[in-house]
Amino acid sequence: MSLTSYVLRRLFYVIPVILGVCFLIFIIFSVVSPDPTISMLGKHATKAQVLELREALGLNKPLYIQYFDIVKSAFTFDFGRSWSTKQEIFEMIKQGAIPSMTITFPAFFLSVLLSVSISLFVAFYRGTFLDKGVVFVCVALMSISSLVYILVGQWFFAFKLGLFEISGYEEGFPDVVPYVLLPIIIIIILSVGPDVRFYRTVMLDEIYQDYVRTARSKGLSERKIMFKHVLKNAMVSIITYVVLRIPFLILGSLLIESFFGIPGLGGMTLKAVNSSDFPVIKAMAVLSGIATILFNVITDVLYVVVDPRVKLN
Amino acid sequence: MHWILSLRANKGIGMAEKILEVKDLVVEFRTDRGTITAVNGVNFEVFKGQTLGIVGESGSGKSVTALSIMRLIPNPPGRVAGGEILYRGQNVLDIPLDEMRSIRGNKIAMIFQEPMTSLNPVFTVGNQIEEVLELHQKELSKQQRTEKAIEMLKLVGIPSPEKRVHEYPHQLSGGMRQRVMIAMSLACEPDILIADEPTTALDVTIQAQILELMKKLQTEMGMGIIMITHDLGVVAETCDDVAVMYCGQIVEQSDVKTLFGHPRHPYTKGLIESIPSFDSTTGGAKGRLPTIEGMVPSLFDLPSGCNFQNRCAHVTEKCRGPHGEPKLEPVSKGQMVRCFHPLS
Amino acid sequence: MATNEQESKSLWHHAWDSLMSDRTTVIAMSIVLIYSVVALLSSTGLIVSDWSKEVGPSYAPPSSEFLFGLDIFGRSVFAKTVKATEIAMSVGLVTGILTVLIGVTLGSIAGYYGGKVDEVLVWFYTTVSSIPGIMLLISIAFIVGKGLLAVYLSLGLTSWTGLFRLIRGEFIRHKDREYVQAATAIGGGDFRKIFKHILPNVFHIVIINFSLQFQFAIKSEVILSYLGLGVQGVPSWGTMINDAKLELARGNWWQLAAATAAMMVVVLAFNILGDSLRDALDPKLKGK
Repeated sequence: MSLTSYVLRRLFYVIPVILGVCFLIFIIFSVVSPDPTISMLGKHATKAQVLELREALGLNKPLYIQYFDIVKSAFTFDFGRSWSTKQEIFEMIKQGAIPSMTITFPAFFLSVLLSVSISLFVAFYRGTFLDKGVVFVCVALMSISSLVYILVGQWFFAFKLGLFEISGYEEGFPDVVPYVLLPIIIIIILSVGPDVRFYRTVMLDEIYQDYVRTARSKGLSERKIMFKHVLKNAMVSIITYVVLRIPFLILGSLLIESFFGIPGLGGMTLKAVNSSDFPVIKAMAVLSGIATILFNVITDVLYVVVDPRVKLN
Repeated sequence: MHWILSLRANKGIGMAEKILEVKDLVVEFRTDRGTITAVNGVNFEVFKGQTLGIVGESGSGKSVTALSIMRLIPNPPGRVAGGEILYRGQNVLDIPLDEMRSIRGNKIAMIFQEPMTSLNPVFTVGNQIEEVLELHQKELSKQQRTEKAIEMLKLVGIPSPEKRVHEYPHQLSGGMRQRVMIAMSLACEPDILIADEPTTALDVTIQAQILELMKKLQTEMGMGIIMITHDLGVVAETCDDVAVMYCGQIVEQSDVKTLFGHPRHPYTKGLIESIPSFDSTTGGAKGRLPTIEGMVPSLFDLPSGCNFQNRCAHVTEKCRGPHGEPKLEPVSKGQMVRCFHPLS
Repeated sequence: MATNEQESKSLWHHAWDSLMSDRTTVIAMSIVLIYSVVALLSSTGLIVSDWSKEVGPSYAPPSSEFLFGLDIFGRSVFAKTVKATEIAMSVGLVTGILTVLIGVTLGSIAGYYGGKVDEVLVWFYTTVSSIPGIMLLISIAFIVGKGLLAVYLSLGLTSWTGLFRLIRGEFIRHKDREYVQAATAIGGGDFRKIFKHILPNVFHIVIINFSLQFQFAIKSEVILSYLGLGVQGVPSWGTMINDAKLELARGNWWQLAAATAAMMVVVLAFNILGDSLRDALDPKLKGK
């Protein structure tokens, strides 16, 4: 079958998953969750007030309509209005996306470059102390909670050493730099550990393959073997791994934005959690679900395109 | 080690050019259970236009021997612990690595057992052939390399080579992939081709085709071939001289006719007798297929004395250790055996 | 199937031997053991039962008297750190068990039976794994509220997806293998085949996964604490790290340091253990 029909088929199968995601969100927020009006109105609210608020918030609509609303929002991106700020959620998302991406995208590119380079290096020197040392450092880095990096980073490098802004956000380049540099660095540190370990495993898998022995028997240098043969084969796995991370880039890091006062989507979500702002939380859940699903499709398609062995059938 | 030269003189073959001489090669491997000697004092010669067969069961050390010639033994855990490998008189074990690399694929080439995994799946076959030209024949342009690649594919009998050159390994059948490997290895017209079980992973009919191809190319291009195999049938078809290996040592060495006609080592005899055949004289139709009793001893646990003692029908007390190991000694014109009681 | 069991046994024996021979692994295992013992002792009140006692001035820095310093209420940070081991180990254990129960059950059913059953389960898996972990955690924690039970539930209900995929894959690979066909030939039923035959061959994945889930749960507890969804009443490393938000500004770093160090050591140990287990048990790994 052709590439287009594969893509179409893949996209078709996305629909039951979207419906499923919406269903899950529906169950969580409309069926199982506690009544949000209680926390909003306080303990002394009268029954009438509760009912009135429930009506206003649309909580009294029949369940199937509530489910249908979620599904509709998944396709139209009309998520209604925030209960706290009364803004249109779609607008909020548009506004919040840019600060989020200002941090996540540079962090992403830099960490991929760094991780791939380190893992190439480590795969070349496999088995030596250098290799074991780097792996140990990666695992050690992974053993510290992200919260600790944020707290220490903020306290030590921003507050005590004054190298960066402690929190806040400023639009436009280069004003934005002192506000986003530390968050970016922290994200890079958080990703390097698991990424290097994964890339290293992928590359070592390739290095022990027979075709590497053939390449050596042809007279290729070890360096050429790593950069031409091993890397190209490893690329397939690396690309799929990397692409699957992209949806997370759009959504931003919840913790980092919250601590550093970045007005992005992550911070927005956290605020919504604290104020029981259901529509916003639901919207973010739907959005992240759809982004993940879409990028899974993109990854599958990329896989077919990049790996000549994969046949479409 | 002039037994082969004198043999040729006896048989009236013209003096073939000696291109490789392996002397007392010893290869060790370090494992958690100790160090084993995978190759223990091996000697042989390879001549232009001639095929030397190295036969043995798995674990006999034949592949390790082949890999050592190209210095492809992974270190760690393996290492060449002794001996010399003289290519055109120069010991390749001594030369610097980049000089070795200029020999690999260029003067000495190798093909392996599994053509599917031995070819890189993400590059076209043309690209992989061109790669070896790019390395060793830098004077060629890209265009010339592609042309040469197509020529090589044609030489090894692949139909529509201009199309195939853009295809990936998985698009070809097993036999064709092995032809590609042969094309790749011969692109720079090497003096020696080392073939490590080239047909073991292929269908029987394809096997025959590949072996025929190799013989044809040898006649055309004149390289020496080292044929590593466990299959005596392959040896009979393709080899001029044979060395039989057991537990890292050569136990019998002679030309192919003598080996089959008059084997002197009990192991060799056992191997020959266990070839199934329709000929009723070996009991094929009526009797059972003879086998060699027992199993190859572990290299960690070799007996003292002759390595073959526990499987030999002619074993005596002499073989069990008091005289040490038997040495490889000439037993008739051009035939060497490692045995205290060579068969008559 | 005697041969099969024999193979499994020697695989385990062999794995145990290779694990024991690596010094780092032995250290990692000992650390896990020590932490488990500490958690047990602490939960029965044999040690640090007086963790909540005020033993000195508020925010006393580390000294020869107070090893790790004191917190805002004058309580020993050392005692709190040790007490918090209970939460950490129990969160890891329960999450690990839940993950294994759900992941293995669903994965084996999906992989073994295939067909419509598999399609439904895979749809369910895709749905759950399409929502990023943290969003799901938040959402579920929303429903179940605060407290230890909430932590168990929210982590357990969201972490099974990875194991599901692995187990399902293995079952698909194994169900057509000869030893399973042989079991069918001698009249073995589905249940028997799943539990007695295939599962033992797949168990190494479960063990490796369990080890990694354990450490992931411990780290996640910190995040959950930050989200206000953590444990109440008893100290946990998560709450201690969170308290540092306010403490650091005043220069009080020791509670953060103690909790981070304590957590880092055991998480590192589990990671190393997971890696060593993979090296020892995964038959696909070639020599390195």
